[in-house]
Amino acid sequence: MCLAAASVRAATVELFAPRPFGYFLGDLITLEAVVTLDPGFRLEPGSLPRPRPVTYWLDLRRAELADLPQVNGARRYRLTLTYQTFYAPLETRGLDIPAVPLTARDGDHVLNLTVPAWSFASSPLRSLIAGGGANPMALQPDIAPRPHPLRTDLRRAGGAAALSLACALGLAGLRGWGPFGRRRPPFSAAARDMRRMLAAPPAAEAYSKALLRLHRAFDAAAGRRLLADDVPDFLAAAPHLATAADTIARFFHASRVAFFGQGPDAAMAEMAPEALLSLARRLAVAERKGAVRPAAAPAAREATA
Amino acid sequence: MQVLAGSDPMLADWLADWRTRAHVFEHEVAKVVLGQERVIRLLTIAVFARGHVLLEGDVGVGKTTLLRAMARAIGGTYERVEGTIDLMPTDLVYDARIGDDGRPRVDPGPLLRRGGDLSIFFFNEINRARPQVHALLLRLMAEGTVAAFGREHHFPHLQVFADRNRVEREETFELPAAARDRFFMEVQVKAPADAASRRALIFDPRFHHMDQLIAGVATDVLDHTCLDQVARAIQNGVHASDAIAAYTVALWDAVRAPDAAGIVLPGVRMDRLVQGGASPRGMSFLVRAARVRAWLEGRDMIVPEDLRAVFPEVMAHRIFFDPVYEMRREEIAGALCRAAFETVPAP
Repeated sequence: MCLAAASVRAATVELFAPRPFGYFLGDLITLEAVVTLDPGFRLEPGSLPRPRPVTYWLDLRRAELADLPQVNGARRYRLTLTYQTFYAPLETRGLDIPAVPLTARDGDHVLNLTVPAWSFASSPLRSLIAGGGANPMALQPDIAPRPHPLRTDLRRAGGAAALSLACALGLAGLRGWGPFGRRRPPFSAAARDMRRMLAAPPAAEAYSKALLRLHRAFDAAAGRRLLADDVPDFLAAAPHLATAADTIARFFHASRVAFFGQGPDAAMAEMAPEALLSLARRLAVAERKGAVRPAAAPAAREATA
Repeated sequence: MQVLAGSDPMLADWLADWRTRAHVFEHEVAKVVLGQERVIRLLTIAVFARGHVLLEGDVGVGKTTLLRAMARAIGGTYERVEGTIDLMPTDLVYDARIGDDGRPRVDPGPLLRRGGDLSIFFFNEINRARPQVHALLLRLMAEGTVAAFGREHHFPHLQVFADRNRVEREETFELPAAARDRFFMEVQVKAPADAASRRALIFDPRFHHMDQLIAGVATDVLDHTCLDQVARAIQNGVHASDAIAAYTVALWDAVRAPDAAGIVLPGVRMDRLVQGGASPRGMSFLVRAARVRAWLEGRDMIVPEDLRAVFPEVMAHRIFFDPVYEMRREEIAGALCRAAFETVPAP
């Protein structure tokens, strides 16, 4: 019993508090208490304070208990209590944080401890009488936003824009949009290719190729595959080419002979390579002239009707 | 205009003479069937290619008149059978009846009555006959033979014309694919489009009495026993170059795999459209028909126009579509054939 009494006296609660002044409305105050118990005792977890409003102006925000190394078999704890004051004093004024009771137990022995009360001075945020002309309660200008580094984003956006532009150009080229649609007209392209094909003293094979090239130009001009029997209809739809009708008929005949009849050599007798080339040139010229004409065509058709 | 440049000038003259007769034949038939120049040209091609023809069209557009006029102009004997749902193969071959003496008799039926000289056999409303009859017809068309009275009967000059109308579907039997493939051509007959022909058909009393009308056609313009020989000469005499062979094969590919050829039809999934068909037999028929057309046009070489002129009639019924598209066959098949010729580069 005597031993127990001596032990009771050995239990201590040391409070480590911050500065006791200079607190304003809303400030956090952290009190640390080191609790040293007698050997064999341990703190009752139930006696620890729970975070709660302590008084109308004081909240206990956190209460954390940490074990410290034991000294001579006596348990030691660090109790960290975080308060927040909501007191709005009109002038500097002392306030008390009330004491916190703790209970330690060793079997049937109960030991009551207390974290002592603590006083501090709370100050008003501003003086009671507003000085000067400015209204201290007036809205302050917004805080300027922090500048965000944009260099990488700008670089990425630029890269994406360049890529989309390249894709759009590629698509336009493939689909023939806008300026890409105005490709070389078929006959003038054919005339250019055929001049190259027939440059050397023309052999049967080159002659056949030149015939085919001109056929493809006719196909392109007609929008479908043009056979010899379709030529009159085609020329009726494209009157600007009709001046060369006889030569076109000769070309189709020569092509028949070359591909389906006696062969290219016989066809060259029907239509010489030079005549073939001159037909292509003539068609190219007629095509360029005809390209301007369609605007006037409907009026002409009405006149004949 | 080029003349047939065969090795034998005699043969060339002979073929030129036959060409004149073919034009006379067309002219004779055109006298009684107005506004059907294209159909008449196709049937003439079939006659000189020795191919069997299936006519298809509305009721009363002149299919039967056309065939009767042709039969008269070709010469030789002809027989005619109406397809009905209870017609059996034996009804074509045998004529079973009670004789004058009151005893049952079996005589040769419509097919055998005229012997081997039969040159034209009409089958009206072929889709009303049962598949058994189709089978008999299949053999008749493919081999020109029929087995009856314990022996085979041969018909060396026979050409089968059949017709069917597309109006009704009740109590009809669709021709099997094999039978349709045996037909050289399937020709659509439509009412004439030009106003003059239509007016004449309605108001001219000449067209009101069919027998009198047919009687106006000159008989035996073509000698039906020589037709086989002429057909052979045409096939040997008309030249097909490598370029046209490549073109034909390209057309074939385009029809069998239209999506690969880049053909696009509105509202049709091209990768699923064609399920099969366009048989090699069909392609050989196509070239046969093209040769005859080239000959009729006075050429000794096939050109793409020849293929184009006969392509829908010879090929369209041999292409089999996905069932989804079968109901729109007529429209899609026509568009597909047109698109093939507009897409495949010639030559």
